[in-house]
Amino acid sequence: MAAACTSRTRQMMGLLRILRNFSQNERLLSTSVLRHNVASDGPPKFTPPSKPVIIDKTQKEASLRRFLSPEFIPPRQRTNPVKFSIERKDMIQRRKVLNIPEFYAGSILAVTMTDPHVNGNMNRFVGICIQRSGKGLGATFILRNVVDGQGVEICYELYSPRMRKIEVLKLEKRLDDNLMYLRDALPEYSTFNFDMQPVHYEITGDVPVNLLKVKMRPKPWSKRWERPKFNIKGIRFDLCLTPEMMEHAQKWAEPWRPYDMLKEYDTSSLEDHIFKEVQENLRK
Amino acid sequence: MTALTCRFIKLADGLLRGAPVTVCRAGAALQSRAPVIQCIRTHRTNTWWDEHLTEDNPWPRHEWVEGSRRVGLVAVKLGMMPVWTKSGERHVVTMLQVQDCHVVKHLSKEEYEGHTAALIVGGKNVSPFHRPEGYLEVFRNAGVPPKQKLTTFCVSDNAIIKPGTPLYAAHFRPGQYVDVTAKTIGKGFQGVMKRWGFKGQPASHGQTKTHRRPGSLGPGGDPAKVFKGKKMPGRMGNIYDTTHGLKVWRVNTKYNILYVNGSVPGHRNCLVKVRDSILPTRLENNKNPPFPTFFADGDEEIPEDLYDQDMFQFGEPMAE
Repeated sequence: MAAACTSRTRQMMGLLRILRNFSQNERLLSTSVLRHNVASDGPPKFTPPSKPVIIDKTQKEASLRRFLSPEFIPPRQRTNPVKFSIERKDMIQRRKVLNIPEFYAGSILAVTMTDPHVNGNMNRFVGICIQRSGKGLGATFILRNVVDGQGVEICYELYSPRMRKIEVLKLEKRLDDNLMYLRDALPEYSTFNFDMQPVHYEITGDVPVNLLKVKMRPKPWSKRWERPKFNIKGIRFDLCLTPEMMEHAQKWAEPWRPYDMLKEYDTSSLEDHIFKEVQENLRK
Repeated sequence: MTALTCRFIKLADGLLRGAPVTVCRAGAALQSRAPVIQCIRTHRTNTWWDEHLTEDNPWPRHEWVEGSRRVGLVAVKLGMMPVWTKSGERHVVTMLQVQDCHVVKHLSKEEYEGHTAALIVGGKNVSPFHRPEGYLEVFRNAGVPPKQKLTTFCVSDNAIIKPGTPLYAAHFRPGQYVDVTAKTIGKGFQGVMKRWGFKGQPASHGQTKTHRRPGSLGPGGDPAKVFKGKKMPGRMGNIYDTTHGLKVWRVNTKYNILYVNGSVPGHRNCLVKVRDSILPTRLENNKNPPFPTFFADGDEEIPEDLYDQDMFQFGEPMAE
């Protein structure tokens, strides 16, 4: 009910914006129409504009959430930065054609791909994003869903030419960056309806964090998620493990890790620079 | 006493394809008190700047004929990235950047002691310091800054190029096949399983201290020896190796980058030798290349990016 209301209001807002735009460009439209139909007789034929340009002037740029897709940040390697800048050019070119929205691990996406083996050529899959990996053009993300009781994970490449549409049905973050433990969690946490309607999300402010803690199936799991190297906060360990088992898992803790200076990789200045470059090129 | 001053004017940026490097030499003679014979020593060699503008040009440009071999390039391995075809198949490519590649010397058939003439090509620019004088002299004669890597290319007589000519990535075109030679990554002293791919022995079932050993070294009493060339542990890698038949998917003429299919020996930022493929099944694809090389000062206007027919270009609008 609330979702329907918000989607309705969003549609109305959208319509209002389009109408406002039309009224603003009325003068432009009318002169162009007159110029075209000077030779023809009768009333000027209405030629609709090619695409409605929705310029959202209510939000200022500074208040928009600053998001740089993680695949733009180059890994810490001894590679010539020329290679990364050229790859970034290709990525920006692809982004101008295909809209790749902002999403995180834990958001629910619907992806449409071309598939030669399907009758209608398009293949749509809805799922929760459990992992975003890869840098540069080979960036991938894995969507998970449970279809007819069978868990299905599909790894999609963001920049593949077969990618047709990526929609974010629900934008949210979870307590972890990597949700691979959903494979060992109860199936209810990975099931999402294919006909799910997109939930409205704000483009300003912080991304909502879902503080859900997931209940697990009995052990053995595919990985020992209780070990500190995975650093998982989104599992209800108190329901599946005893305090002794938790203590035993702490044997594999590496308390020196946060102090290891050689493993530090400060990307803040790089991120700023790349963000500005990407925004500038996308606007061109 | 005579003093000789030599001045080098280097190219500002190796990435941009600009005019060939010019070297100014001023042979100055110092006025000395004593009446000594003053001589102005200049490096006048066979190759001088305006030779090719004269009537009897010793470096004529011929057309490509079947059976002729042309020069290759020296490039720097940048890294790898994925590439998609129009049908959606994914391939991986290695990016090779041609940084300051110049022809440094020409060896005629007699000099090279072979059946073909040879051209020595140099790669990336390096500093002239901490390098032996003999090494720098070759570059001084060609009028080119000192290079990190020098390679020899066997070339047919109709494809000789004047020393000092810069070579660019547009020398190769998409759809062509190339062979890439480079020094493989050194792995140090390695055992027989990694070095030669031996199977080793089982991990359990009674094996005493024998899991990764070579086992038997050969037949028994009849030869009563181990044959020469027996595969044994030793230093692995850091040797020149060639990968044949790699397709060129894309050529970026602004940054001089070749996108070559698959992987190439060597680590990132190593210098590789690229030349036209010698595989007989790929001769069809290597017909009518820019011969003897691609000249930047010519009339040919090429776009910034040259793509292969099958390759998916990222700026393409999506077909509905």
